[in-house]
Amino acid sequence: MNRQTLSNITVRKRLIFFFICIAALVFAFICRLGWLQLVHGQELREKAWEQWTRTNVARAQRGNIYDRNGELLAGSSASLSILARPGQIADKKKTAKELASILEMDENRLLELLGKEIDSVYLKRQMDEDVAQEIRKLNLEGVYFTPEPKRIYPHGRLASQLLGFVGTDEGLAGLEYQYEAELKGQDGRIELQTDAKGKRLPQGREVFFPPERGADLILTIDQKIQFILEREMDRVMLESQPKSIVALAMDPHTGEILGIAGKPDFDPNDYASYPQENWKLTPISNTFEPGSTFKLVTLSAALEEGHYNANEGFFCRGYAKVAGTTIGCWTRDRGGHGAIDFTQVVLGSCNPGFIELGERIGPDKLMEYVHAFGFGEKTGVDIAGESTGILFTPEQFGPVEAATTAFGQGVSCTPLQQAVAVSAMINGGYLVKPYIVKGLRDSEGNITEYGPQLIRQVVSAETSAEIRRIMELVVTEGSGKNAYIEGYRMGGKTGTAQKVGEGGRYIDGEHILSFIGFAPAEDPKILLYIAVDTPQVGPQWGSQVSAPMFRRMMESILQYLNIPPSTVAEETVPTIVEVPDLTGLSLDDHTYNLLETRGLLIRFIGSGETILNQTPKAGARVPLHTEVLVYLGGSGEEGEDKGVTVPDLQGKSMREAGEILNWLGLRINSTGTGVVVRQDPEAGTQVPAGSVVDVEFAVPGDE
Amino acid sequence: MTGNSENRIRKKKEADFIILFATLTLVAIGIVMVFSASYYVLHERNDPYLHLRRQVMWAALGMAGMFFFSNVSYWKLKRWTNALLIFSFLLLLAVFVPGLGEEIYGAQRWIRIGGFTGQPSDLAKIALILFAAAYLARRDIRVNRFVEGPLPVMAVMVIFVAVILKQPDLGTAVAIAGTVMVIIFVAGMQLWQLFLIVLAALPAMAYLVFSESYRLQRWLSFLDPWADPLKTGYQVIQSLYAIGSGGLFGIGLGFGRQKMFYLPEPHSDFIYSVIGEELGFIGAVTILLLFFLLFWRGIKVALMAADGYGSLLATGITAMIALQTLMHVGVTTGSLPVTGINLPLISSGGSSLFFTLCSIGILLNISKYADR
Repeated sequence: MNRQTLSNITVRKRLIFFFICIAALVFAFICRLGWLQLVHGQELREKAWEQWTRTNVARAQRGNIYDRNGELLAGSSASLSILARPGQIADKKKTAKELASILEMDENRLLELLGKEIDSVYLKRQMDEDVAQEIRKLNLEGVYFTPEPKRIYPHGRLASQLLGFVGTDEGLAGLEYQYEAELKGQDGRIELQTDAKGKRLPQGREVFFPPERGADLILTIDQKIQFILEREMDRVMLESQPKSIVALAMDPHTGEILGIAGKPDFDPNDYASYPQENWKLTPISNTFEPGSTFKLVTLSAALEEGHYNANEGFFCRGYAKVAGTTIGCWTRDRGGHGAIDFTQVVLGSCNPGFIELGERIGPDKLMEYVHAFGFGEKTGVDIAGESTGILFTPEQFGPVEAATTAFGQGVSCTPLQQAVAVSAMINGGYLVKPYIVKGLRDSEGNITEYGPQLIRQVVSAETSAEIRRIMELVVTEGSGKNAYIEGYRMGGKTGTAQKVGEGGRYIDGEHILSFIGFAPAEDPKILLYIAVDTPQVGPQWGSQVSAPMFRRMMESILQYLNIPPSTVAEETVPTIVEVPDLTGLSLDDHTYNLLETRGLLIRFIGSGETILNQTPKAGARVPLHTEVLVYLGGSGEEGEDKGVTVPDLQGKSMREAGEILNWLGLRINSTGTGVVVRQDPEAGTQVPAGSVVDVEFAVPGDE
Repeated sequence: MTGNSENRIRKKKEADFIILFATLTLVAIGIVMVFSASYYVLHERNDPYLHLRRQVMWAALGMAGMFFFSNVSYWKLKRWTNALLIFSFLLLLAVFVPGLGEEIYGAQRWIRIGGFTGQPSDLAKIALILFAAAYLARRDIRVNRFVEGPLPVMAVMVIFVAVILKQPDLGTAVAIAGTVMVIIFVAGMQLWQLFLIVLAALPAMAYLVFSESYRLQRWLSFLDPWADPLKTGYQVIQSLYAIGSGGLFGIGLGFGRQKMFYLPEPHSDFIYSVIGEELGFIGAVTILLLFFLLFWRGIKVALMAADGYGSLLATGITAMIALQTLMHVGVTTGSLPVTGINLPLISSGGSSLFFTLCSIGILLNISKYADR
């Protein structure tokens, strides 16, 4: 044996020890494999399966909204949403930087989204195809697109308060909100197995659960009528600058709402840019004191109960005493209506006359009718946000309250309640439930139709016929002449109610000017209700604001519906009227009554309370609905040295223009003949008294 | 064991057949698995057969090397040992030379010579084993004297390991250090010295783990991969999903899904995960047992070697293959912290396969002179 540095025995022992170690480790790893593959195999397989399976949501297309004639009011357009799977993006900074410029988003915000530890995150919802195309070109890892329809409203602001709008995921206001469940449909999904980059696996499973399209809503609304209403409302908003306007048209027999709108409104394509108050459907949510239009309830009750005799005499002293309280008539300052009959009570909107009728009916009976006509409770219309209105409670309801209720004070209602009640008065006596959704068409084309619903008969057909006749008289002989449309028979009632502010006190100088009317009177097809809240420019009087508005709307609607003029006109309105003498009068109820009973309109020039001059002059014979220009002054507010405001002379004749400028202490320098086509300075300019206004005349159509 | 001299001509026997069988079987399995694991990812790059071609080529070259070294009596290697040690050390430094070294995934482990890239550490492993075996088997060295035996070997090893850590390649560094320590241990280092060395090494290990934040996170992640499933725990989880979904029989060769971008480096660092998924418990255990066969025969060769040098050489070669195998299996089964390390003979990686086969050639040659 040579000298060994290595000990044979040690080497052997240690090699065997090393072998045992290896054997032990190999055994341990076999156990570990068994633990992973046999014991926990199922669990890990399921988790892995979950990882391979990606679910992409296939958004259901939202149902469309159509008007009664199939005109599209709300639809959906194709758009894409971009989402990212953060786990698949290696260079988040680069991705965020590249996307930021295209998506016009903040880079840090994107980086934050990409840094989220979730499977997928939306980066931007509902973008246009061309933006998506640009991003596709970048070929970014972990960035995906999913189709997501975007809501569009082809008519813009039209019926916006009614339709409401859709947020990113769901309807947030109006019908979109109310019918969310029906419109939404059922989202589908695609389950597919992918590699870690999101590419479909070659042998992977792919299952498509198709989305179910939402149901279409078919409304009772007629887009053309809606347009007519809103066109006039927009015009009055511009000209008279009221705080708000509501209007609604309905079929008085069925309760179908043909048009409904409130202003100011909003653009549902850009709803976020408008104040939230504009989103509400004001014709059903706002309440106000109805005033004179409510007198129709008292009249109906009196007719039905036999307390109304058209020819019976009545003496109005300008006030009535009820349980020691004096309640005035609007004619109070001039000593009242005097000796009139009950027809005149109605036509002259005489408060003591209606108090008398109310007393004859009796407070309990009167309240019964008020309730029977649907006041004090929701109409049950199929859209959310309806208000109830306020009536006197039985405990509060004393003789004074009964008296004021009889002529429409101290109660409040929504425009819709008022319209539904008047519908019942004129349609033969039937209170119907108003409705807006005519039908639902599901994704397979099956239509569920909703029809008219009768709630109860309130008055008899005879009473109803009488109401129609009396309301027709209001238009032909009473305060509603400014609503009269030549050749048609129609009924109506004006209302001018002082606004009730907080705490139930009337607000000085703020009025709700309303008009409710229907046509044709012999067989009402349309009931139209308008209320204008406090015009800032021009008269604050129903017959001057809401009645002509009604006329313009109704005229367009009758034309559109091809309703022919009535062949037998029972009541005729003279088409040439005599201008009354207004000079020296103030802008009070009496002055307006002089104009409205003749069917004349008024237009102010200057400011103040007293009419200093007028054109046409008193006694002139002019066509119905002619505008009488009056020059106001005498308030002392406008000092001589402050100068005067140049009036708008557009369309005035040479004589009129000369007169107007003369009243104002301005001089005219005219060129041409015909009517005013141009003026300098512009209307509204402040100039010193005695300034010269250049006015250019031309014959219309010559230019 | 008598004599260790070259001139004492011992009767040559047949090489160990079981080692040859296990090696060739594993190489064949490796070729198949490399293809299976890589074709999906490579498909994206329009060359699904790239790794298959390379694996076949290096397997062929490696088998030629194995054949060559099995026929060169291992004593002749002593002559070249010091030269090889220096050469391999220079190559290790070469990875840091721009133009020669190549950076992949933030690590400089590769050098490119001609059309080939290889890891110099693969050559360095063999060089160190040859050096340690030759040095410790020297007659004038007393292994139980720390300063005479273990210290110089460990000093050389530490220099190599330091360079490899710089690349950085913790897995290989640990494997090399472990292999050299096994050789020293088997050679007969005093156990109390070894104990002290290990004790002294602990702070160093701790420093290595905590110095690079990613290593610490990896270290923690294997303990509870689901704590942070998208970042640090991601690789472990993906590996566990793969192995777990294999079940008893596997989901079938080629049908694995985890290799489809879920697993990082499915053809090399995580090939055992693909094996577990596609071939199941049965396949994974079979392959592990084939390796065990190799270790068993390798240790047997060491036990029976004609001399101390052959014994330590066989020990080193076996230890090197065993440590890498166990580390790879440990990482892929979530039993060890994640570190990139090849499964010997199976994982794709030209130089690793080539030098592993060469070293098995040496092992086979030792077996020819062993007592049976």
